[in-house]
Amino acid sequence: MSEPTQGNDQGENRDGDDLSSHDDPRPRTATGEAGPGRIVVRGLTRRFGETLALAPIDLDLGPGGVTGLIGPNGSGKSTFLRTLTGLVRPDGGQASVDGARLSGDGLAVRQRITYAPGELHLYTEMRADEHLAWFLRGRPKHAAVLERARAIAAELGIPLERRVRAFSHGMKRQLVLAAALAPDVRVRILDEPTEGLDPSRRGKVVELLRKDAERGVTLLISSHHFGEIDRLCDRLVFLNQGQKLAEETASSVAARARRFVHFSWPSETEAIAAKPELERLGAERVVRDGVRTTAELGTADPRPFLTALSNAGGLPPPRTIEFGRLSLAELYQDLYGVGGV
Amino acid sequence: MERALRSTVVQAIGYFIVLEAMLIAAILFWPDFQKGIPYFKTLSSLPIAKDLMKPIEQTGIEGYIVVQHFFKGCNVMGAAAAVLFAMGAVAGEAHRGTLELWLSRPLSRRRILLERWAAGALALSVPILLSSVTVPEALILIDETMPRGGLTWCALHQSIFLLCFYSLTFLLSSISSRPVGIAFGMLLFTTFQFALYLITTVTHWSVFRMSDLDVYGAILETRGLDGLLIAGLIGFNALCVAGSLFAFARRVP
Repeated sequence: MSEPTQGNDQGENRDGDDLSSHDDPRPRTATGEAGPGRIVVRGLTRRFGETLALAPIDLDLGPGGVTGLIGPNGSGKSTFLRTLTGLVRPDGGQASVDGARLSGDGLAVRQRITYAPGELHLYTEMRADEHLAWFLRGRPKHAAVLERARAIAAELGIPLERRVRAFSHGMKRQLVLAAALAPDVRVRILDEPTEGLDPSRRGKVVELLRKDAERGVTLLISSHHFGEIDRLCDRLVFLNQGQKLAEETASSVAARARRFVHFSWPSETEAIAAKPELERLGAERVVRDGVRTTAELGTADPRPFLTALSNAGGLPPPRTIEFGRLSLAELYQDLYGVGGV
Repeated sequence: MERALRSTVVQAIGYFIVLEAMLIAAILFWPDFQKGIPYFKTLSSLPIAKDLMKPIEQTGIEGYIVVQHFFKGCNVMGAAAAVLFAMGAVAGEAHRGTLELWLSRPLSRRRILLERWAAGALALSVPILLSSVTVPEALILIDETMPRGGLTWCALHQSIFLLCFYSLTFLLSSISSRPVGIAFGMLLFTTFQFALYLITTVTHWSVFRMSDLDVYGAILETRGLDGLLIAGLIGFNALCVAGSLFAFARRVP
């Protein structure tokens, strides 16, 4: 398996935040049962002209937990989130969010959740404080919610008295998040909540989201940052070309991880020489990247393979052997066949 | 105050000041105009313009106010204001990328759209009503007078007529994402309609026939509105608003 492309979260990813280390302690209700804090989607589909933006998608999430929606650009993540919130009308299928069925313009859903859009275009002529009030218009207990939003904004270091036009991209993102995190709801849908934030701000936001999840709020977030998804999510939904490619929980990732054995060789020559030998020993697929080689096995039990490996005479000795670990970047690479960022 | 509402109030105040300034200027010009009516009739090359002079000659200040304030001031400025107020209502949000944000709050699309339509409609109508009811006060400057009741009916008719421009532009704004394109299209349409009005052989095809001296003369005379005409104008407005609601409900941010 090739190494993923270098990105901001590469370090976090490599530093042991493996999905396989997460537990999935959420109690699961019966499949398809709509209720408080749950997101139930059945056959949701949307087409833009000739383009199938969302193939029929089924999904059961919550109550509670953090679900990461992952996929390359144009995979349908934002369309899916917009459809769930009623901003885009589905062509077919059904969905219910927090017990409210998606119909018409999605008002019933939007009244029960908060949504932070991914595209950041704010009313730059407003002061940040005014903008928060504007965001929260229509929320019950408006004054209390606004006060909470101000507190979150202050925690994030947002100068509320300044006009939004003076804000950086990251500050705008945090302002939107402050508004999305303030209302007392059971479901939050956040489209790329940390996009454009520097690592320290991103850490703060991830911490806020984690605290929110600990209170039992169901979070559905889309992101391209593997680091934060690794740290935050206990469930992953992979989309590609509008279709749900895979749905993974921490335990399913752990099971998948057990099928991978990672080798590191002293030199590239030995890594090249090892590839056919590993295939001969029973690896279903062997991917080499520089001095690193990943062998994918047919079973989750690597012992027969490792026994055969130790008895194989023609194989140069590897520097390290690892198994039972699978980073999100590797999972992404495995599903999409390209390096993640 | 809501952002859009504040901007609408500012626009409405500006529009009122322009209307009032044009009205005062026209009123102050009346004594000179009155003396020059025979010359204007002779000099005017357009038959329609000559026709406009006749009622002024016959009714004096009443006909003059109708032509200057309603036919010229409100029709021209009002049509421009109607386009200006409505062109960005939805298309402006789409153009600047704020449409998703606008729609993502827990408010129904119907409410969002109707609030915006109503704010613009008030901004268009209230200045007309206010400037029209101040006509008797302004006429004191030249020792003339005019009954306020008739002016109020005229202002009401004028507002409903201009709301048709506003609602049509609003409908286009609900469909399109290009406010400038809408503005150019509507101003072209308005100019074309005004040009039609000035050509005797095709003048009956112009929408401005529904807001000209004959219509306002009848309103002043009867102290009431033409029920059929008003029903048609209100019906057109209702159709445009319904179309806007339909388009907006399906609009993708």
